[in-house]
Amino acid sequence: MSRVLPEGKAARRIGTVVLLAGVVLLTTAAHRQLPHEVKTQKGDAYVPRPEFAKAMSLGFDAVLADYYWVQAVLLAGGSFDPQSQSTHLGRLIDVVTTLDPWVDHPYRFAAVWLTDTLDDVRHGNMLLRRSFDYHPDEWRNRFYLGFNLFYYLEDNAGAADILHEASQMTGSPQYLPRLVARLRSESASLAAAGLFLEELVRTTEDEASRAEYQAALDEVEVEWRARQLDEARENYKKLHGRDIEFVEQLVVGNQGVLPALPDAEPSSLPAPLRRGSRWVIDEESGQIVSSYYGRRYEVHIDEHSRRRKQRIEERTRRSRGAAEVETSAAPSNGSAAEGEEADGV
Amino acid sequence: MIVRVFTIAQNTVREAIRNKLLYTLLFFAIALIGTGVLISTLSYVESERILQDVGLAAIRLMSVGIAVFVGVGLIHGEVERRTIYTILSKPVSRVEFLVGKYFGLVFTTWLMLGVMAIAFAVVSLGYGAPLDGGHGVCFFLVGMELVVIVAAATLFSSFTTPMLASLFTVGVYLLGHLSRDLRLLGEQAKSESVKPVADFLFQLLPDLESFNVTIEAVHQLPIPAAEVGWATLYGLGYATVLLILASYLFSRRDFR
Repeated sequence: MSRVLPEGKAARRIGTVVLLAGVVLLTTAAHRQLPHEVKTQKGDAYVPRPEFAKAMSLGFDAVLADYYWVQAVLLAGGSFDPQSQSTHLGRLIDVVTTLDPWVDHPYRFAAVWLTDTLDDVRHGNMLLRRSFDYHPDEWRNRFYLGFNLFYYLEDNAGAADILHEASQMTGSPQYLPRLVARLRSESASLAAAGLFLEELVRTTEDEASRAEYQAALDEVEVEWRARQLDEARENYKKLHGRDIEFVEQLVVGNQGVLPALPDAEPSSLPAPLRRGSRWVIDEESGQIVSSYYGRRYEVHIDEHSRRRKQRIEERTRRSRGAAEVETSAAPSNGSAAEGEEADGV
Repeated sequence: MIVRVFTIAQNTVREAIRNKLLYTLLFFAIALIGTGVLISTLSYVESERILQDVGLAAIRLMSVGIAVFVGVGLIHGEVERRTIYTILSKPVSRVEFLVGKYFGLVFTTWLMLGVMAIAFAVVSLGYGAPLDGGHGVCFFLVGMELVVIVAAATLFSSFTTPMLASLFTVGVYLLGHLSRDLRLLGEQAKSESVKPVADFLFQLLPDLESFNVTIEAVHQLPIPAAEVGWATLYGLGYATVLLILASYLFSRRDFR
């Protein structure tokens, strides 16, 4: 049964619908003009001091911790270079772990991402140490701290001590005591780096971080083979009284000292990405290098870390310079500046 | 006396569950608990924890919302409709009336808490988040917090308008969660005179953080039985003091 509306009423209804549609369109258009970026993604969102956030949470600390955690994940996931945001990430994780210190993953998240400057690394280490009170049986937090000490701060003794603690814990890998021994016996061990990185690749939950660790581990693997070739080269020299001209000489006929040359590419490299790299003698250094990397690996400094280290050193130099300028400009603030220096790098 | 209090409480529950505001708040609480599923997907780890954090926060917030906004109108409504004259003309004292209203409201908030707890359990189980006794303890202590908040709402609504009573009760809720920080502030203050003032405020204000074991429940940490026991005793004691004050003020109130 249809109801026929009087003409005026129908027109009014149509008018209302048109008006509503117009307002919706206008609102949508206006909204599109506004920036849609979350402030945290730009790294300029306000992050309160942890103790202030705790007081102001009014008992909703757990959910507030989640809010800041999600902000940290968005920042790390959305930023092209998350490490450059690591100071901001550090503040976020500090708030998260103050509001809810029983959280688990954020501590290791901090260890992975707080690597932009040495101060950031130290901040990450402080957060990892905080986790010891709340997760006393979690060996992974100690492992990450050990890695940071060894890899970024080059504090092998400190790393060995903390890994020794980790090795006493249930569930820790059996090779940890071996790693501790290596750290105590050598100042810069390739094997130690390999063992660390293998474990990090195995346990890191975040895919981007895992890929970085895998890349570093790949370099360590290729370097390991290059060192075998160095050894074979020395044997060749002893045997023939002369050096090789090309790497293949190490396996040629009866004069060779190796049954075959090892693969010049990382074993984790999938078949489509393989490019038939081979071992060559670097013209500049005279060292045997894989054409895949074109250079030799240095312990502590893979390609990613080299860039990171350069950035760290540059920033540290800059911040030191700024602190010195400030100190000379305001002599009355000298003690504060010195305090910062002592806490910093 | 008990029978009269029980009858008034029964009527209060009946009246409260007819209140549309109650269902609006309940709807928002359940919607928020469900939203936890969405929010938890933003994190690639510990999503069960986030789901439960959001759910428990929604339950606590909306329970207090129900206690405050439904609670403060109950006595005022009786005065406004002048039904209070009819009730008080019967052999019912003002104290019995007030206590009956209080228990009725406490029962209503517990009922809503129960509904929200069921929604929380369903969402948690559906998502595969663990549930254990700690969650039960958490809900019980939220219930105890409501005992105190409803008592505060009853106290304020016994002598002032619903608007002011709401404001005062929300104020008590906020200060109740800040009272420990106030004491800490006093301890850290340089001025000697601040400490006793902060201590006094800590004793005066309800320590609502005593009823907050959300983190312990979500992380499945042990919750000492003694702590729960003392918190229960503290909540009942605090609510009793507020009710005695409310009864005193209500019995002296002029309804004209």
